[in-house]
Amino acid sequence: MAVAGTSGTGTRSTGSMVAAASTNNVTSFQRRGPRASGADSGCSRLVSIAGTRRSVRNGQLLVSTGLPALDQFLGGGLAVGTVLLIEEDKYNIYSPLLFNYFLAEGIVSGHALLVASAKEDPADILQKLPAPLIDHSYKKECDEDICGHKMESDIKMKIAWRYQLFPKMEGRPVLSSGFGHDYDISKRIPQELIETSKWHGFFLPEKISSTFNVESCSLTSGYMKLLQFIQNIIYEEGFDGSNPQKKQKNILRIGIQNLGSPLWGDDICCAENCDASHSLTKFLYILRALLRTSLSACIITVPTHLIQNKAVIARVTNLSDTVVGLESFIGSEKETNPLYKDYHGLIHIRQIPRLNNLIYDISDVKDLAFKLKKKLFTIEVRENFYV
Amino acid sequence: QRSPPPPAPTQGSPCGSASAKDSVEWEGRSLLKALVKKSALRGEQVHVLGCEVSEEEFREGFDSNINSRLVYHDLFRDPLSWSKPGKALPGGPLEALRALDKRTVSGPATIALDSLSWLLHHLPCPTLCQTLHALSRQDSCPGDTPPGEQVRVLGLLHEELHGPGPLGALSSLAQTEVTLSGMMGQASAQILCRRPRQRPTHQTQWFSILPDFSLELQAEPPLESQPRSDPHTPSVDPTTHLTFNLHLSKKEREAKDSLTLPFQFSSEKQQALLRPGLGQATSHIFYEPDAYDDLDQEDPDDDLDV
Repeated sequence: MAVAGTSGTGTRSTGSMVAAASTNNVTSFQRRGPRASGADSGCSRLVSIAGTRRSVRNGQLLVSTGLPALDQFLGGGLAVGTVLLIEEDKYNIYSPLLFNYFLAEGIVSGHALLVASAKEDPADILQKLPAPLIDHSYKKECDEDICGHKMESDIKMKIAWRYQLFPKMEGRPVLSSGFGHDYDISKRIPQELIETSKWHGFFLPEKISSTFNVESCSLTSGYMKLLQFIQNIIYEEGFDGSNPQKKQKNILRIGIQNLGSPLWGDDICCAENCDASHSLTKFLYILRALLRTSLSACIITVPTHLIQNKAVIARVTNLSDTVVGLESFIGSEKETNPLYKDYHGLIHIRQIPRLNNLIYDISDVKDLAFKLKKKLFTIEVRENFYV
Repeated sequence: QRSPPPPAPTQGSPCGSASAKDSVEWEGRSLLKALVKKSALRGEQVHVLGCEVSEEEFREGFDSNINSRLVYHDLFRDPLSWSKPGKALPGGPLEALRALDKRTVSGPATIALDSLSWLLHHLPCPTLCQTLHALSRQDSCPGDTPPGEQVRVLGLLHEELHGPGPLGALSSLAQTEVTLSGMMGQASAQILCRRPRQRPTHQTQWFSILPDFSLELQAEPPLESQPRSDPHTPSVDPTTHLTFNLHLSKKEREAKDSLTLPFQFSSEKQQALLRPGLGQATSHIFYEPDAYDDLDQEDPDDDLDV
């Protein structure tokens, strides 16, 4: 642009462009309102809630899933008002980790939590959350892990010499502060963090009455009770904007564990043609409606490897927004295959939502694998040497 | 069947529930009785919910010491409660299971369910799973009771009677799963142990049960006629059977190293490009003549006679 020619041959930032433009009075576009401070909130009229940020693509409000690597592959984070469905791995070892990361991120960011489970008491689940790491200690862990690779980084690169000075990336993006933290899974979260957080628990064996009646409606009673519980919390705490005089807006993070397992009273895992086959799908439909009208985000883990009817799995996937499948190598022939020897399993990003958008925000990479190290859970692009 | 692994081998008996699967060839009731006997000898209370065989048949083979510790809840004789008129029907097996829940409050106890298959046929699977979970959970709150005091639930499951759905559902609930099989007259148990946050462990244990229902563990029998799979399967080498060549010979490697690359600049130019100076007023020009450049300083236009 000819306008910039007068501002010197130094760095050409948009700031200087705007400055040059305004001094020359070429454009009449003015920024309306006071300039908002802070990189996270864009326009000053939009809400700024702790632990959230706006997507760079379409301004959608995002929360972190707790794993910065997963955030990156989901397009920046989990959109508020959507459901993240995790398809459990066969022995249910790694999906609780993702579940716990999500909840721990909620506690650290100061969000309200709602934990629902039919297997474990929510208070116990909260006790086992990972402890957050402060930035510089994480870098130390990172360095310890890659010290084995030091030899390679000392060799000067012959062809790609322009990248010599770049740090060795682990697929971890640069984060703005306040969004996405790192956790140490070998340590438990400090008790005082749990006590200062606001959480609600739903433990099915306590809520369900002892007399088992045959359900007349098509929703199993466990699901019905859970929906009512969620609705009450959203309404009472004002996450749907129903109490405008209340204090500052906050996000509600909902976590539901092992949905669809027989412990919830659902028999889609037990039979192929089951009686209450629409129970889970109705539940998801109503849950999504509740989420869309409130400031909340939800993570659900479903044991899809137990579901006998493939059509039900497809319906459940369609009714969720973001779907991530975990496939662990334990017990399969891939465990001994040298192609997979560095990893513990594969991650399949099966679905990404298209919210207020015409295009999907998918990353180009489809081949992801995960590894559970002693202190953290990493997701990496699987390096394919023999394509 | 859910049964904890035989307490002998490696660790102390874990708490929670365990299942053992048997089939037509390798029956599991004797293993269940052997485990019941072991628990009784340890001084625990043992409650047996009997559905498939009569009480006399179950107690047969146990001596009086064990029989006195055994509390038998009989569902075999009168499963539908016909002999107790006036009692509400929805009782039956579910009520019996829930009664076990409240009764075994004190001390360590073992609950043996003979069999889970019978219960699966009479109760809806989710209900059974929920009740079993409540049973095995009742004392397993961490920190409340020491591990030795917890309730252990054993169940016998006939694998061939059920489809993959209920089997999968019950397996996901069980902490330990014992599958009975065997070879040439020797019974073996494949034990799959799932700890909450750890990788599941597989173990195979050969055993035999003596007439008085003591459990005898044995080492693996020598294999005679069975073809054995090679213990050191050669690891798969992905570089075999490729249609292109991945290796370089020495001459090829030398030729490769001596090749000049197009964007390989002199080291001074590389350093200058890597570390751009801040606030440079003038820009530097680095010129490195190519191999084909003509460095003749004369202006070729001088030759034109215009």
